[in-house]
Amino acid sequence: MAAPVLTARNLTKTYLSGISQRLQVLRDVSLTVAAGESVSIRGESGSGKSTLINLLAGLDAPDAGTLDWGGSPASVDRRADYLGIVFQSFYLIPEMDALANVLMAARIRGPIGSAERARARDLLGKVGLGERATHLPSQLSGGERQRVALARALMNGPKLVLADEPTGNLDEHTGDAVIELLLSLCRDTRTALVLVTHNAAHAAKCDRPLNLHEGVLG
Amino acid sequence: MPWYLYLALKQLFPSGRRYPFFTLISILGVALGVALLVISISVMGGFGHEIRRMIVDTQGEVQVKARGFIQEPAALQSLLARVPGVAATTAYAEGVAMLEHDRKPAFPAVQGIDLNHVNDVIPLRRFVRLGSLDNLDDDSVILSSQLAISLGARLGSMVELYSPLLLEKLKNDEVMLPRELTVVGIFEVGHQQLDSSVVIVTLRTMQDLYGLGRGVHGVNVKIAEGEDPDRVARRINEALPPDGNVEARSWIDANQDFLFVLQLEKNMIFFLLTFIIIVAAFSVASSLLIAVVRKTREIGLLGALGGKPRQVAACFCFQGFFIGVAGTVVGLVLGFTMLHFRNDMIRVFTQLTGSEEVLTRFYQFSRLPAYTAPTDIALIIACTIVISTLAGLLPAWRAARLKPVEALRSE
Repeated sequence: MAAPVLTARNLTKTYLSGISQRLQVLRDVSLTVAAGESVSIRGESGSGKSTLINLLAGLDAPDAGTLDWGGSPASVDRRADYLGIVFQSFYLIPEMDALANVLMAARIRGPIGSAERARARDLLGKVGLGERATHLPSQLSGGERQRVALARALMNGPKLVLADEPTGNLDEHTGDAVIELLLSLCRDTRTALVLVTHNAAHAAKCDRPLNLHEGVLG
Repeated sequence: MPWYLYLALKQLFPSGRRYPFFTLISILGVALGVALLVISISVMGGFGHEIRRMIVDTQGEVQVKARGFIQEPAALQSLLARVPGVAATTAYAEGVAMLEHDRKPAFPAVQGIDLNHVNDVIPLRRFVRLGSLDNLDDDSVILSSQLAISLGARLGSMVELYSPLLLEKLKNDEVMLPRELTVVGIFEVGHQQLDSSVVIVTLRTMQDLYGLGRGVHGVNVKIAEGEDPDRVARRINEALPPDGNVEARSWIDANQDFLFVLQLEKNMIFFLLTFIIIVAAFSVASSLLIAVVRKTREIGLLGALGGKPRQVAACFCFQGFFIGVAGTVVGLVLGFTMLHFRNDMIRVFTQLTGSEEVLTRFYQFSRLPAYTAPTDIALIIACTIVISTLAGLLPAWRAARLKPVEALRSE
C-alpha cells in the first residue's frame, strides 16, 4: 500500500502571549491524508487553522511532533516539488502577467522549457483564463486572481495542495466557483487536498470534513 | 535563467510598464557618476598625455647633458649611435637672450638646433605653422607664435638678438653688435608657455652667440620603437666615460616630480569622484530596502513556493548588480559623447560667458585635451559594479532573514 501523502503526528505549537504567558495553539494534532483524498478543516477564528496549515506546509516548525510528506520527513528542498499552496490573499507577483505567475512555481523548482510553458497555458485554460494569460494581476478580478493562484499551485504536479481560506477574499458566488474548480482540478489530477475554510458548505464538499476546536483536531 | 535573476529583472522592468521609474532613476544616478568620472579622468589624462607628448616632441625621449658643455659633440653622438636602443641623436645649445623688434624687447629661451639631424629626433617641422624650417640658416630665426604677435613680427621681419656674451665683452671694453636675423618661420606647439617664449636658431648661430666654439649643451636622443626610455638612458650612462661630466636622463626621470604630481592629481580626482557613485549606491540601497519592505509578502510567497533564503538574497543583490552594469553602460556612452563634443561645448560656454581666452591663458592649451587610458576605464567599470552590487547586499540580507510564515502574515 502506498504511503500517505501527508502524515502529521502529535503536532504541538505554542506561542508566547504577552510577556510571559504561553498560548498553546495546537495540541497533539495528528492527521493523515491519502493520495487523491480531500480533507477540509473548519474552525472558528483563532482556533489554529492557519497555524496548522503553516506547519503542514513546513513554513513553520512545531514545538513537538513529526511531519512526513509521502513517507519522508518534510523539508524545504522538497516543497516546490511536493506541495502546492493556495492563500486567502492570492499573493500574485504584481510585476508579472498571469502566465509568468503560474510559471514562477516551475522556475523555482528548476529550469523551464516549452513543456512547462505549455502546461502553464493549459492550466490557465483549465481555470478559464486562457485568454487572460498576458494580463497583469491588477487587470484581473479577485476571483480571476485566485484562479491564477490555483493554476500556480498545480503547476508542478504536486502530490498535495494546501488551501488556506481560498475564498476568504471573494464574494459567495465567486467563492463557490473557485472551490468547485479547486476540487475538480484536484480530483482530475488525483492530487490530495487539505482545505481550511470557514464555510460549512465548502467543507462538506470534501471527502473528509474535520473540525479544529481550541487546538484539537477532531 | 535562474528564477531569482528572472525575478530581479522583472522587478526592475515590470511587464506592462513602459518607464520603470525607480529603475531609471537608480540607473541615471549611477550613470551620472560614471560619466563624470570618465570625463574628469579623461581630461586629466589628456592634460598629462599632452604634457608628456610635448616634452617628448620638444626634448626627445632621452637627453644627454653635460655639467658645463660638451666640447666634442660628434664623438659623443657616434658613441651614442652604438648604444642599443638609440635610433637617432641631435645636438643642441640653449640659453636665454634678449630679442628686439621695432623697439619692443623680449627675453625668450633660444634653442639652437642642428639642422642636419633635428628632424630625426624632434618633429619640429610639424609645429611650423608659417614659413618653413627649410629656410632656416645662420642669419634667420623661427619665432613662437605668441612671441611673434607680442613683438609684432611677421615672416621677413628683422629682429635683433643680444646674447649674454655682449655683456662679457662690454666688461672688457669690447663692443659686439647684436645679431640681426630674419624671421623665416612661426611655430606653434599648442602649449602657451612654449608658444610665447621660445625662438629657434641654428646651432652655429647659438654657438656664436654664446661663444661655445664647436661645443653644445646637450644631445637629444630618439629611442627605437618599443624601447623603454629609462632602460636606454641606463645603457647610455653605462657606455659614457665614468668621469660623471656627461649624464643621460630619460624624459620620465627628468620630469618625475611633475609626473608624480600629475598622477597624484588624477588619483585624487578619481578618489573624490568615486564618492558620487557611492552616494548613488546609497540611493540604490535605500530604494531596494523600501522594495524589501513593500514586497515582504511576496518574499514570503517565494519561500512558500520553495525559494531558499540565499536565492531571495541573490534576487536583490542582482538588482544592485544590474543597476551597476546598466548605469556603467549608460554612463560610459554619456561620458564619451560629452568628451567627443567637449570642445564644442566649451566654445559655446566660453562664448556665453565671454571667457574664451581664459582656457589658453591659464590652462596653457588651446583645446581641452582628453586621453582615456583603458586601465582607467576598467577601474571605473570595476568600482561601479562592485559598489552597486554591495549596495544590494543590505536589502538582500534583510530579505533573506525574513521567515516565510512571518512575511506572509505581515500587513
